[in-house]
Amino acid sequence: MRILVVEDDFLVADAIRRGLCMSGFAVDCASDAEAAAAALAAEHFDLALLDIALPGADGLTFLRRLRNAGTHLPVMILTARETLATKVQALDLGADDFLVKPFEQTELAARCRALIRRSNLKSSGQLTLGKLRIDITGRQLYVNSEPVELTNREWLIVECLALNAGRIVTKERLQQAVASWDQAITPNAVEVHVSRVRAKLGDSVVLRAVRGLGYRLDEPR
Amino acid sequence: MSASTASVTSIRRRLLLFLLPPLTLLMLVGVFLNYRTATLFVRAAYDQKLADMARAYAAQTPLVTPAGILFSIATPGGQRTAGNARLPQAAAGSSLLSYGDASLDGHDLRLATYRTPTAVVTVAEYQESRPHLGRFILAGNWLVDFIQLDVTLLIAWIAVYFGLKPLIQVRRQIEARSARELRPLDATSVPTEVRPLVDALNLLFEMLTGAAQAQSRFVADTAHQLRTPIAGLLGSLQVLMREPAAAPLQSRLTLLYEGVATLSHSANQLLALARADSATSLTDGFRRTDLKTVVERIVERNVDRAVECGLDLGAECSPASVNANARLLDDLLGNLMDNAFKYTPSGGRVTVRCGYEASHPYLEVEDDGPGIPEAQRPRVLERFYRIPGSPASGCGLGLAIVDEIARQHDARLSIEAGAEGRGTRIRVLFNHSTAETHVAD
Repeated sequence: MRILVVEDDFLVADAIRRGLCMSGFAVDCASDAEAAAAALAAEHFDLALLDIALPGADGLTFLRRLRNAGTHLPVMILTARETLATKVQALDLGADDFLVKPFEQTELAARCRALIRRSNLKSSGQLTLGKLRIDITGRQLYVNSEPVELTNREWLIVECLALNAGRIVTKERLQQAVASWDQAITPNAVEVHVSRVRAKLGDSVVLRAVRGLGYRLDEPR
Repeated sequence: MSASTASVTSIRRRLLLFLLPPLTLLMLVGVFLNYRTATLFVRAAYDQKLADMARAYAAQTPLVTPAGILFSIATPGGQRTAGNARLPQAAAGSSLLSYGDASLDGHDLRLATYRTPTAVVTVAEYQESRPHLGRFILAGNWLVDFIQLDVTLLIAWIAVYFGLKPLIQVRRQIEARSARELRPLDATSVPTEVRPLVDALNLLFEMLTGAAQAQSRFVADTAHQLRTPIAGLLGSLQVLMREPAAAPLQSRLTLLYEGVATLSHSANQLLALARADSATSLTDGFRRTDLKTVVERIVERNVDRAVECGLDLGAECSPASVNANARLLDDLLGNLMDNAFKYTPSGGRVTVRCGYEASHPYLEVEDDGPGIPEAQRPRVLERFYRIPGSPASGCGLGLAIVDEIARQHDARLSIEAGAEGRGTRIRVLFNHSTAETHVAD
């Protein structure tokens, strides 16, 4: 997985590069929009991290140019300015995520993985999460490359959790996802299905219950 | 409020005191002139009666002399032919008929003398036998004028009330404001006389807004400027701590990291405070906000941290919504969470709640940590205040930010012990009447 970091502050760029390398990404750095454009023209990247306050053309201008050229490369905006207007503008221009400085390295890596996962899902119809591979189009779950049999309801729960990996999925939402298949289902029944799913997934991923809200599926750290 | 009421009535009093002497003088002059005019008319009427009687005597019409009337008839030469011999004559005037006053035996008389070529007829009437119509007229005049004066003053009193109404409205507009509300007053419906006052107030508001914004902007700019280098430092330290070569330096790196993390937190807190303080945030971004969504967002953001701290983080949400700035509510709840996490030992439980209490929406964070002693509770809301001997690091702005945001949302902050008297429960109770949204939910 290759990431392009467009950031003019050397210390920040260096920290991101080293941190993401440790998390298993290949990282290149560009300090302005022109260098970034050159890098993108020359090589394939899976994700770009884009600072807004760049010398010359700023990050948002660069993003607009990128989207006008029809590039679907996932882009995460990194900025010290967290005004709502900036965020809305960035997302309108086609940014896929928005992270405010300063941030935790683990948070950054998790978001990068999530963005790349989503972009892969779009191109291949498959989702990889830790040792889990979920073939959404083929409706098949693999744990450690071994196919795992799931009931209809279990599959719907895995699908809903995996498509929202890293985010809390409320019990009501799972209930709706499952109930739409045939008939109504109680919250207790959802819990039963989730615990069965948990047993089948084992420690390939982390399935965390959040008291009073729902569940969150994560890659193991 | 009482001071401003007093100043309003004092304008009224001054106006009445100013009106009273000229109006009274006017009334006196009016009464006097009315009296004079009325008595003249009354005398003319009685004189006319005397004159008629004199003409009747002169024409030798047989007459019964009424009581209180005296007469004498004489020749032009002065020889008396009939009537009272001692009755004097009125002095001759330009016409045949003349009037005069005289006195006889200590009584005042009114005389009318009619001179014909053959006789001089004088008819007199005792003044006291004339009814005192003048006095009735005088009394009537007094009464009418006195009522007029009172009514005038009453009308002035009421007119002043209506005249001052725009001022009272301006006062109400200002009184209804919170200390941080610096929008200009509405000057469209204000009368010309009050407009300079409103304009001056608006100018003051504008200057205050400018000053407040400049201050907030300065704090925000500074905090933003700090963020990029802090991000570099934090990131580099995190990377360094994960490198195998750093093992011998691990404890020193951890200390350094914690220091930078505190610096980072302080910059963020200053920014949050500037956001909460800025006067513009009052009008910007206030919309109906689903509290459940806010709670979910904050819990989501803190799940990893809860796992790291070994805390059981959970939510208990009933549907609730409030007119609020969602960004500020994030800051508010985030700070309450920060505190709960900081002071609750590993193995503890932190619960975020939202819902309605007697149709008022609320947000709440409860932990089962050591709790805040009752004596300290009012003080923890002060800026930069930290409970003596508290173990965790922090800059002491957290609850001050929470308090400020609560105030901007017309919400009340209450700090209590948690369930079974353990830990801390901080509740933000919104004052909004939300019965209708309650039903809608």
